[in-house]
Amino acid sequence: MWHSSCVVVLWGLFCVVTPAGLLADEPYGRHQIATDARDHWSFQPIRRPQIPSVDEPAWIRNPIDAFVLVRLREAGLKPAPPALRATLLRRVYLDLIGLPPTPAELDAFLGDASPAAFEKVVDDLLSRPQYGERWARHWLDVVRYAETNGYERDGLKPQAWRYRDWVIDAFNADKPYDRFLIEQLAGDEVAGSNAETQIATTMLRLGPWDDEPADPLTDRYDQLDDIVATTSATFLGLTLRCARCHDHKFEPFSQQDYTRWQAIFAPLKRPQKDRADLDRDLGPHAQVAAHQALIKQCDAQNAEVQQQVRALEFQVCQRAVADGRLPLGPPAVTLATTSQMPVDAIQALTIDPAKRNDNQKKLLVKHAAAIQTLTRELATAEERGRFDDCDNQLTTNKSAYPAPLPKGYVWYEAGPTSDASHVFRRGDPRNVGDAVDPGFPAVLVEGPPAPPTPTEHSTGRRLQLARWLSSPDHPLTARVMVNRLWQHHFGDGIVSTENDFGTVGAAPANRPLLDWLASEFIAGGWRIKQMHRLLVLSQTYQMASTSNPAAEKVDPAGALMWRFFPRRIEAEALRDTILAISGQLNPAVGGPGVYPKISREVLETQSRPGDGWPASEPSQAARRSVYVFLKRTLLVPELEVLDFPSTEETCEQRVVSTVAPQALTFLNGEFIHEQAQAFAQRLIKEAGADDDARVERAYRLAFCRSPSAQERAAVRDFLTRQRAQIEADSQGKSTPAAAHFKALSALCLVLLNTNELAYLQ
Amino acid sequence: MSGNMKSQRIVSARSAGAPGDLPRLTPCGRTRREFIWQAGGGFVGTALAYLLAQDGFINRALAAESSKASTLSSKPSHFAPKAKSCIFLFMYGGPSHVDLFDPKPELTKRNGQPMPDLENDPRFDAKRTNGRPLLGSLWPFSKRGQSGLEIASLFPKLGECVDDMAVIRSCHADSFAHGSGLLQMNTGSLRQGYPSLGSWVTYGLGTINQNLPAYVVMLDHRGGPIGGAPNWGAGFMPAGYQGTQFRTSGDPIIDLSPRGGVTRAQQRQQLDLLSELGEMHRRHLPHDSELSARLESYELAFRMQQHAPEAVDLASESPQMLEQYGLNNPTTEKFGRRCLMARRLVERGVRFVQVYSGGGHLDENWDAHTSVKKNHELHCAEIDQPVATLLTDLKDRGLLDETLVVWGGEFGRTPTSQGDNQGRDHNPRGFSMWMAGGGIKGGQAYGATDDFGYAAVEKKVHVHDLHATILHLMGLDHEALTFFRGGREMRLTDVEGKVLDELIA
Repeated sequence: MWHSSCVVVLWGLFCVVTPAGLLADEPYGRHQIATDARDHWSFQPIRRPQIPSVDEPAWIRNPIDAFVLVRLREAGLKPAPPALRATLLRRVYLDLIGLPPTPAELDAFLGDASPAAFEKVVDDLLSRPQYGERWARHWLDVVRYAETNGYERDGLKPQAWRYRDWVIDAFNADKPYDRFLIEQLAGDEVAGSNAETQIATTMLRLGPWDDEPADPLTDRYDQLDDIVATTSATFLGLTLRCARCHDHKFEPFSQQDYTRWQAIFAPLKRPQKDRADLDRDLGPHAQVAAHQALIKQCDAQNAEVQQQVRALEFQVCQRAVADGRLPLGPPAVTLATTSQMPVDAIQALTIDPAKRNDNQKKLLVKHAAAIQTLTRELATAEERGRFDDCDNQLTTNKSAYPAPLPKGYVWYEAGPTSDASHVFRRGDPRNVGDAVDPGFPAVLVEGPPAPPTPTEHSTGRRLQLARWLSSPDHPLTARVMVNRLWQHHFGDGIVSTENDFGTVGAAPANRPLLDWLASEFIAGGWRIKQMHRLLVLSQTYQMASTSNPAAEKVDPAGALMWRFFPRRIEAEALRDTILAISGQLNPAVGGPGVYPKISREVLETQSRPGDGWPASEPSQAARRSVYVFLKRTLLVPELEVLDFPSTEETCEQRVVSTVAPQALTFLNGEFIHEQAQAFAQRLIKEAGADDDARVERAYRLAFCRSPSAQERAAVRDFLTRQRAQIEADSQGKSTPAAAHFKALSALCLVLLNTNELAYLQ
Repeated sequence: MSGNMKSQRIVSARSAGAPGDLPRLTPCGRTRREFIWQAGGGFVGTALAYLLAQDGFINRALAAESSKASTLSSKPSHFAPKAKSCIFLFMYGGPSHVDLFDPKPELTKRNGQPMPDLENDPRFDAKRTNGRPLLGSLWPFSKRGQSGLEIASLFPKLGECVDDMAVIRSCHADSFAHGSGLLQMNTGSLRQGYPSLGSWVTYGLGTINQNLPAYVVMLDHRGGPIGGAPNWGAGFMPAGYQGTQFRTSGDPIIDLSPRGGVTRAQQRQQLDLLSELGEMHRRHLPHDSELSARLESYELAFRMQQHAPEAVDLASESPQMLEQYGLNNPTTEKFGRRCLMARRLVERGVRFVQVYSGGGHLDENWDAHTSVKKNHELHCAEIDQPVATLLTDLKDRGLLDETLVVWGGEFGRTPTSQGDNQGRDHNPRGFSMWMAGGGIKGGQAYGATDDFGYAAVEKKVHVHDLHATILHLMGLDHEALTFFRGGREMRLTDVEGKVLDELIA
């Protein structure tokens, strides 16, 4: 590590280069950075590239197309023709709101010949609440969103759904990305911090949490590691996590860099009661403080009155014992009410309240109701009056309590200071190395940041991080985010390793385009909707997905954007699309998670079958998938089987696997059968008794088009044969009407399983 | 061979060809377009790839690419395997080693006395053990077989098999809790989100049988283990590598049969229409093999409806065989059925079968907090005959040599008592597991705990070592079997693990 191979001047000091691109030595921890490590493209400032001039005005709708066309020409490729309008409409609907257009929406678009027709659709979609529901889900993948802790008890993260709604609202309100980022990292530290901004910090607490860790010390650093990994990958697109136990093997990040980042989050506190994870009061700090002070005051007043009551009860009992009305043990107490009380409870009553032990206090709480009756019975008229006064005061006090504040599962810190953070040798928290101050990876900065400015409530470390990340000069923040936007519109990012912009991450397929988009994003005030408009209104987005053998040879994966690359829609979009087509989708917005029915066979995999899964009633179960409760140890099969991502850590890009269990779930599962039947009923209701009209309607609902003559024939033939088969199989027990409906349901089941439904093209 | 395993990493195709780019993986080792033949030995994945190649569904270039990148049919191991399959009998809850496989005369002698010299172990929950008297072994041990290996009287039938068993008496793990303990025994990590042992085996070796899953899990009739599905999950690997739950009654696989009175003939018509419409759709996108793969997955599902029930249909087994597995006795019937199904599955080429004994909570499994006697009498009686029969049956069929059988739980139990001095608490510091068949040198006890059975002291075997050894027996090098994720090559054994050479024949 300390072999010197060359010597360079950096920060005015002589440093020694180490093999990993790290320089051994001083002012910023053990390592500084080799100059060539700083040369890596994504660590360089974003310079707005010139828009290439390409002589093809008919094709170019906006600068994106110019950047794309230049690259296509270099490769000798031609862009695909424009997509059919119906295809384009279905594409942009599923892409922007995760639902297909209705036949009426399709007709309206096809009937609108104005050049701005598509733009109108885009603006309409971006203004719908379904847009936020769709795009929030992409973000939730990246921040490992789940509503339970995982592990043995898989306990609830109370109010976690408020964060999901916060993300949906942020997308819908077009919250600028810099602000979006700041609130999630430091919503409790920003000026004007309030319930809304504080809920955003839930993001930091979404990771798995073991409520009964094998080793509490290691567990604490595992929790911090989860936060380091998630935040560095999400906002920087870097694999800083790999430097936990040693310097990064491939990237210029030292263990110091890891620890600096970890130190930002070292004030982590986990409010909990035993194994239960707790939420907290939300609001401006002053408001929360006043609220809690008022509660404390009310509590104190209550305690004072309670004390008077205790003293009075004691007085009454002492006298009753003395005059023999309250016997201190067997034989039985004559008073009717005391028969419910054990003798030791009565004995406890006769002990001075200040001298009662815990057991006695517990006993008296347990028998409070009986004691109340007893003591009132034994009291004199004057004492009874005093009891009544106390009772009245307690009632008044109750109404003096403030209304509860909103609650959230948020980050909080105990105060302006935190313990020092240390590098751990081999990542072992019992093998403590050098102390390290909070800071940022050395390769990205010119030197250590100024010490953060603490507030009364927190260290100010996260706000400093958020400000650094959201600076318009930051080389990574905008690139990483516009790349994610591109990814979800086109299938893959321009950098296809969306969480890894490091030296071993994929190089950008079109760097000038990425840099232009990033600078446009910053210049436009970090507005996400503006970027959507730019991307989907490009000619690049509006190309057909048709293939071309010559281009397949040169660029089979379509990285150069010679066509719109078809792709399977995500599990949620597919489930929502099926619900929309069957007419069952409940469009209600926001609120706690819902629990679609999970079959008994699946619940039986739990140690307590059904635990934590209170099945919702059908209309709630038919809400959009983004509202399905996310339990770490139990996922809805329709989502799980279609590659719903792991919630244990950030997922930037979902797998698309094709396996037989998917076919089983969507051929034989209860959900799909219910939807196929509802779809069939809808067709009967909307298209009448004629088979051809039903098929026409089915195609328009499912695929945004009419069936071809060949498809029509195939479907008609199927219905005939299926009906005959059903009747034959039923051995005369099925009526023609029943067979008719069953065959139509079977057709619906088939249509819901087609590639055309599952793929965006 | 490690070079070969590395080539299984999936290259993100869309970044290839970009200037200055190196072919590489996504951070999770995944690409969005991860087709089944890349996912490989997942649930019938290899089969699908194989069929696609046979049926000409994928063009030659893709077939070549996939054979290079991953798998057609089964994948080659790193070196010659001793075992082709593994049956892991998981005794959920934590069986008491000092009462079953690890005789402790000193413990029995000091029954009722306090435990001396309890190590000052910060991780040990002292309030559980402090002041608690020692509880002697509840059942006598005797030397059995030619090897004279000692085993408690609660396992009379299993005692006949000791010459095939290597008992590891020095196991230790890192968690006192069921949740993280189960995760560690199954995935190597106390943290959730890591692939299970069966997933690693499937990832490394693929599958042999096209029509069955490569990795099957059979849960106890009383419920799943604490923590549920992550115990057989694929963690950060594609979901295709996760264990498939097989049930002992009804459909073996969830949603296997058509629903709502749909007959096989009707479903055949439906699939024919699906295929016909799919072919018309594909005319516009002739090069998209992903679309053909999806169509073919429906055919595979259809075929599976035929093959999976056959695999678990015990009608072809002789009455004597059913009796030997204990199916005519209510105590042994449930676990016996799972053991017999396990044998049928490995016979048909399933790579990894995990069979749970115990489910739910407390005495529904081996978690004997209140009475070891009551708890273990029940659970031992449930498994003794079925496990013994499984070993002899495999042997009779010549399958034991190529089938590794592993027995154990997530931890053992304390030498001190609990409750009304009749139960024992969790103890990961020292416990016993055993292996048989599949290259194991039987009739031996390996390693040792202290005089009381509290902690492993001699030839200590960590969970990572068990995993390294299991992989080794199946022909996989635990240091070379890696999966690239989040910037690093992940292993089942993290940066630990050593193969226990002395166990191997």
